[in-house]
Amino acid sequence: MAISDHSSRRFDEELDELRTRVLQMGGLVEQQIHGAIEAFGVGNFEQLEQIENDDHRVNAHEVGIDEACALIIARRQPAAVDLRMLMGISKIVTDLERCGDKAAKIARKAKGIFDHEMRRVPCISDIREMGEIAVSLLRAALDAFARQDAVGAAAIVRDDVAIDEKFQAITRQLITFMMEDPRTISVALEILFIAKAVERVGDHAKNIAEQIIYIARGTDVRHVTWDQLERDAKGEGESA
Amino acid sequence: MPGLTTQISIRKFDFYYGKYHALKNINLDVYSRKITSFIGPSGCGKSTLLRTLNRMYDLYPDQRAVGEILLDGLNILDRGVSVNELRAKVGMVFQKPTPFPMSIYENIAFGVRLHEQLSRVEMDDRVEWALRKAALWEEAKDKLQYSGMSLSGGQQQRLCIARGIAVKPEVLLLDEPTSALDPISTMRIEELLNELKEDFTIVIVTHNMQQAARVSDFTAYMYLGELIEFGVTDEVFVKPKMKATEDYITGRFG
Amino acid sequence: MAANLATWRRIKNRIAMTMAFLAMAFGLFWLFWILITTLDLGIASLSPKLFTQMTPPPGSEGGLLNAIVGSLLLVSLGTLLGTPIGILAGIYLAEYGKHTWLGRITQFLNDILLSAPSIVIGLFVYAIYVAQAGHFSGYSGVIALAMLVIPVVIRATENMLLLVPNPMREAAFALGAPKWKVIVKVTLRASIAGILTGVLLAIARISGETAPLLFTALSNQFWTLNMNGPIANLPVTIFKFAMSPYKDWQQLAWAAVFLITMGVLALNIIARVVFRPSKHT
Repeated sequence: MAISDHSSRRFDEELDELRTRVLQMGGLVEQQIHGAIEAFGVGNFEQLEQIENDDHRVNAHEVGIDEACALIIARRQPAAVDLRMLMGISKIVTDLERCGDKAAKIARKAKGIFDHEMRRVPCISDIREMGEIAVSLLRAALDAFARQDAVGAAAIVRDDVAIDEKFQAITRQLITFMMEDPRTISVALEILFIAKAVERVGDHAKNIAEQIIYIARGTDVRHVTWDQLERDAKGEGESA
Repeated sequence: MPGLTTQISIRKFDFYYGKYHALKNINLDVYSRKITSFIGPSGCGKSTLLRTLNRMYDLYPDQRAVGEILLDGLNILDRGVSVNELRAKVGMVFQKPTPFPMSIYENIAFGVRLHEQLSRVEMDDRVEWALRKAALWEEAKDKLQYSGMSLSGGQQQRLCIARGIAVKPEVLLLDEPTSALDPISTMRIEELLNELKEDFTIVIVTHNMQQAARVSDFTAYMYLGELIEFGVTDEVFVKPKMKATEDYITGRFG
Repeated sequence: MAANLATWRRIKNRIAMTMAFLAMAFGLFWLFWILITTLDLGIASLSPKLFTQMTPPPGSEGGLLNAIVGSLLLVSLGTLLGTPIGILAGIYLAEYGKHTWLGRITQFLNDILLSAPSIVIGLFVYAIYVAQAGHFSGYSGVIALAMLVIPVVIRATENMLLLVPNPMREAAFALGAPKWKVIVKVTLRASIAGILTGVLLAIARISGETAPLLFTALSNQFWTLNMNGPIANLPVTIFKFAMSPYKDWQQLAWAAVFLITMGVLALNIIARVVFRPSKHT
């Protein structure tokens, strides 16, 4: 969607700055999740530590961006697309922060697993696969945000299903695993937590995509059917 | 729209200042007991449209209206319509407070006397009623015989509103009623409008978009003499249908 | 360069201010001289007899009673005749005839009338009234004075009405008031102070006019209230007595000058103080 310039150039600058900060935060979160899953896969203890410690940086981004949103609202009384942009950013930032939390959680759980020196860790490759999808969804969401691309965002909402399916598969696998050998129950549960965290990252990516559709089209697609959502994303849902 | 009664409907309406075509094919419904705001950049014709609703343009010989404006089903542009009776039904408040050079009491009684013959007591009651409705009674009750010009700007504007509603019109037109007032007085007037819409249909022209967003139920965006978009205010300000409207209300104009 | 320019500007400013000040001093000098002479000679010749006795024949004692009463009569009747005509015409020009050819012509003629020498008015009334009737009369004097009042009042009324902000007019119309009511109840009321000031200034002007009365009311040595014959008045009396070789007549002339000057001064002060435009009228 083409957005022309404000009469107030300062307002444009403020909004641009805000969008850039969201993308920066998104990049950091993406890096954290990617790193957590990779370090978990190869058992890099130091990297896991680093990721857990870096979570405050994500939090600081959230606080800063929310503050900037409040400031712009107070100063500019934004309307229409600007208002939706600020509301959307405020929510996107919350989702990104949660993703950051998930990265930290994965790192923590992974550390726990390696602490106990468990030799056979099940499902690692599945979780890595699922993590790659989650990270790619997040990246696609940030991409769509940068381009204000509602149609692209709609695709993300659909793709989230893939992660959910993957999660189901991992759960089933872990259950079999636990039934076979009850001694692995504690490590299997830890793995399940990690899988759940990755699955949540997919959900957050989906939420972000929904906010992008709201920003671009002004339609709230959080609780509608896929077909409706896709029509809304293309801007055909007006009269429906 | 469902659940709403149309008070004024404007159909295929055109307006000319001499040869200048100021309003082009306006079609618009004003709903009863709702606040409708007209917004748009200077010179877009919003004030012009407002001033046709009580035929203010009659005062100026080279202004001409074509089309239909139905008030309660009657075309007010018809030659046969008595302008003075129309103005008893459609009151107006202007940009600058314009108290008449007479007492506060007389300011209000002036309009009432034009249309009704009331006894002294009835008139006292009417003046009090109007001042109460305009949220001015408490401030003015002890100085009804003082000149209307002795009031502050915000009070003067409320006096003008009291004067307008004392005639008991159906519709109240407001032409940028707060543009000459300070923010506190502005808030009081906005608050007042919200109460007045229980009894009157209100149409307001405003330069202040936030004001339109705050007070009105319906918003019409006009540009270069055309009605670009008309709809429920909440939608117009969150999700306007037209790009032009969006650009204007987000300050991307010009 | 810049400093030079600033200096040059300062010098120009000095020169202009000095010239303006000298012009003012020049004007005030004569004004004060006139006032001082009037006060000096006028007060010296003041006495209660002025208000009790008639204008005397040369060589005998007397006052100005008949001239004072005659002047009051002429001026008040002239004002009463001229003011309503002036106000109505002013209303026409401001409220009705603003863009009509009749309005424009009236305005133009009124401007001419406003600057016409009063002796022309006197001669005109002499020609159309006095000459026809065959004798001088108070009535003709009243007409001549009224013709001086009218343009002043027209101008004052028109200007004051045009000063009433248009939104106030529209606000009255918006209540459904017919035009005449808007004018009478709102615009005229809003400008009444200014209009009355104009009337007072017109009175001040005609109370000193000699030329129009010389050809119309003439003068009268004796007490009379008969407006159909020549009637005594201060300006013509001054003219007559001051030109005479008699010392006591000249003294009476100075007394009359003093009275008129004080009267006009009083009117001007009243016009400025009482009808000063105020927010709280």
